[in-house]
This record gives sequence, structure tokens and C-alpha cells, in this order.
Amino acid sequence: MRIDLSRHVPPGFDLWYELRFFAAGMTLAASWSLSFLYRFVSALWALYGYRGIERYLLPGAVMPDFHTLLGNALTGFLILAIWWIAAFVPAHYAHHVVGSKSIYLMRRLPNRWELHRRCWTLPLSVVLLCLIVAAILLLTYYGIYMAATPEECLTPHQWQKIWSVLP
Amino acid sequence: MIQIRNVSKSYGRKRALKDINLSLPHGEIVGLFGENGAGKTTLMKCILGFVSYTGEITLDSEPITPKNISRISFATSEHSFFPNLTAQAHKEFYSEHFPRFSEKRFRGLMDFFGLPMHEPIRGFSTGQKNQFEVILSLCQGADYILMDEPFVGNDVFNREDFYKVMMGILEPTETVLLSTHLIEEVSSLVGRAVLIRQGRIVGDVYVSELEDSGRDLMSYIKETYHYRADRVSKAIDELTGEE
Repeated sequence: MRIDLSRHVPPGFDLWYELRFFAAGMTLAASWSLSFLYRFVSALWALYGYRGIERYLLPGAVMPDFHTLLGNALTGFLILAIWWIAAFVPAHYAHHVVGSKSIYLMRRLPNRWELHRRCWTLPLSVVLLCLIVAAILLLTYYGIYMAATPEECLTPHQWQKIWSVLP
Repeated sequence: MIQIRNVSKSYGRKRALKDINLSLPHGEIVGLFGENGAGKTTLMKCILGFVSYTGEITLDSEPITPKNISRISFATSEHSFFPNLTAQAHKEFYSEHFPRFSEKRFRGLMDFFGLPMHEPIRGFSTGQKNQFEVILSLCQGADYILMDEPFVGNDVFNREDFYKVMMGILEPTETVLLSTHLIEEVSSLVGRAVLIRQGRIVGDVYVSELEDSGRDLMSYIKETYHYRADRVSKAIDELTGEE
């Protein structure tokens, strides 16, 4: 099933302009999230010592908690979501009064929600996508953390500790 | 019938409409005349629910809500189309949202005025944009067509064509409320004239009544507005007279 996105933005709004912003924002947010991998690999290497070329686990070495390494790696998605709502919802409404007063047409449609639907659908979809991608990355990074960290270096209750940072 | 009872509207301290009472039955072409700022546009916006007001406006005894709003269309000199869309895309949008949209009338009027179907409206001339705005309002399938200065920027031949076509295609049940300054031009088109001044209705007359009494619309309007015919000559005298 193919979704015609132009039906979910104000009529005549430059959808590709918005999608280009979206692609750029997602790329930046995803790139920023890779900072987790940098911190994780650095912490992983710190668990080991070297005898010549032979690597060994340092006695008593403990891996920092997952949430510490995660840090603000997923903040880009939060910023993207908030920025999208703050910038594009007003832009969508303003589109109906720039160049013509198509707001007069939208406000006299039998479907009273059509104006708001077209102004909010894409921004809310972007927020949802940001949440989904952030959740997928969180699970992926958690999986990498748990799989790649030597068991004896892990402290318990890592998953619960993620949520303990929430107020 | 659109019934307007005791409608008043203020913008801050300024009273734009004062106790308006008016009824618009089926099948009339009503001219709404008045100077700039008299309240013509505000009255139309009240009917459409674009602005809040006190009083009551009903359509066949029902309040005007999304349930019956499609029975009213609106053409404005500010334009209410989407500039980036083509005429074809507008046709599709209107067909989707207005069940009584007349594709036949739309095609006929687009052909008559030679407007392109596949070019964005922003590329049209001002006259073409006005034509397109009016075409949409005539094709929506509305019983009441409100037109607010729809021909600003159109040349006289173009306007005449439009009046003729409009007279030819309107169904007996369709009502037009036409606000314009082009009184003499539309005097043969309208069947009734409503005069509004400083937010009050100061005249409401059927053109046939005027004709029966041997008067024309223009003289009636001048009379109602207490137009002083000598004011121009007085002004010229004052401006050109010696000190």
C-alpha cells in the first residue's frame, strides 16, 4: 500500500522541503547517537591489559553502567521531535494565510478537523518516528553492551538502572 | 433561507456591525453595497462563522455548523484557493470535500474562460485568479454563494462576460450575495439591493420596486446615502478659486 503523503500536509505545501529537513535531522540525530559506541568501545578497552600482544582482563575491572555510557546519545531525537513540533506546526498553519487566504476554505469544510489534521499529522508522525528509532537504537545499543561486555565485569540490574535516571 | 437576527460585531472598541437583521431567501441575487469599511466583509465573515458575533444567524432555521456549511460558498478578492495547486488538484480537493461539487459546471467555466487545468494558480494573472476564485464558488454545489468584491482587478469586458455566464448558469434555487463597488455594472444583475453604512443596514429594496416607481438603483443609493451632487463642483471651486 502506497501512502500519498501530500494528503497529510496543507494542500500545496512543499512536502519535499519538509522531507529533506527530516532526512537531515534524522541523519544528524542518528550520527550523534553513535557517540555511545565510542564511549562503549573506550570503556571496553579499559577493561583489558596487555602482555605483549596478549590481551587479558584486568582483575576487578568493572564496566561502567549502560546508562552512564549511553549519556545523551539519544538526545538528538528528542531535540528533533520538539523542534519539529515547534517549527512545522506553526508553518503549516501559516501556509493557509500566505499567498492567499486558503484558511477561509479550510475553515468552511464540512470536515471540521481537516485543517488541523493536515497541520498536525506529519509533525506528530515525525515525533512518533523519533520515538521508534530512539527505542530501536536503545535496544540495539543495550544488546551490544550486554553481548560484548565480559560477564564478570557487568554489574546487575542494568535495564532497571536505565529507568532509574528518570525522575 | 439565511436569517440574520440582531447581529452585532465589534473589533475592540470599533462597532463593525450594529443590530443587523436580514433574510436571504432561495433564488435571489442580492447586491450588498456600501463604502469601504461599511461592514460588508464582516457581515459575510459572520455568516460563515469566521468571526465571533452576538445575535443569531441560521440556515433554514438551523445554526450554521460543519453539518450544513457546505451549502454556503465564498469567493473573496483575498482569494481562498491554494496558490501552489493546479486547477485539476483543486477540482479533486473540492470533489472530495463537497459532495455536491459540479464537475460539469467546473469544466464548462474553465473552458469558457480558457484557464489552464495543469498550471499552478500562482502563475495566473490577477484577473484569472479572480475568475478561478468565482468558478470554485459557483461549482461547490452551494445553495448560497457569497461573493466579496470578486472582480477587483478584472477588466470590464471580462466582468461583463462573467455576469452573463453567471446569469445563464445559476439554478433558480441558488442565491448570490454579491458585495461590490461596481453598482452600475451589476444593477442589471441583482434583483435586490441591500445598503450598509457604518455597520447598519440603511436600505433594502427590490430592483423591481424601484423600476415600478420610476427610479434606478444608482439614484436610490445616492438618495439613501444623502449623496450631495454639488460637493464635487464646490470642491473644485474651493481648490481653484482665488484667495
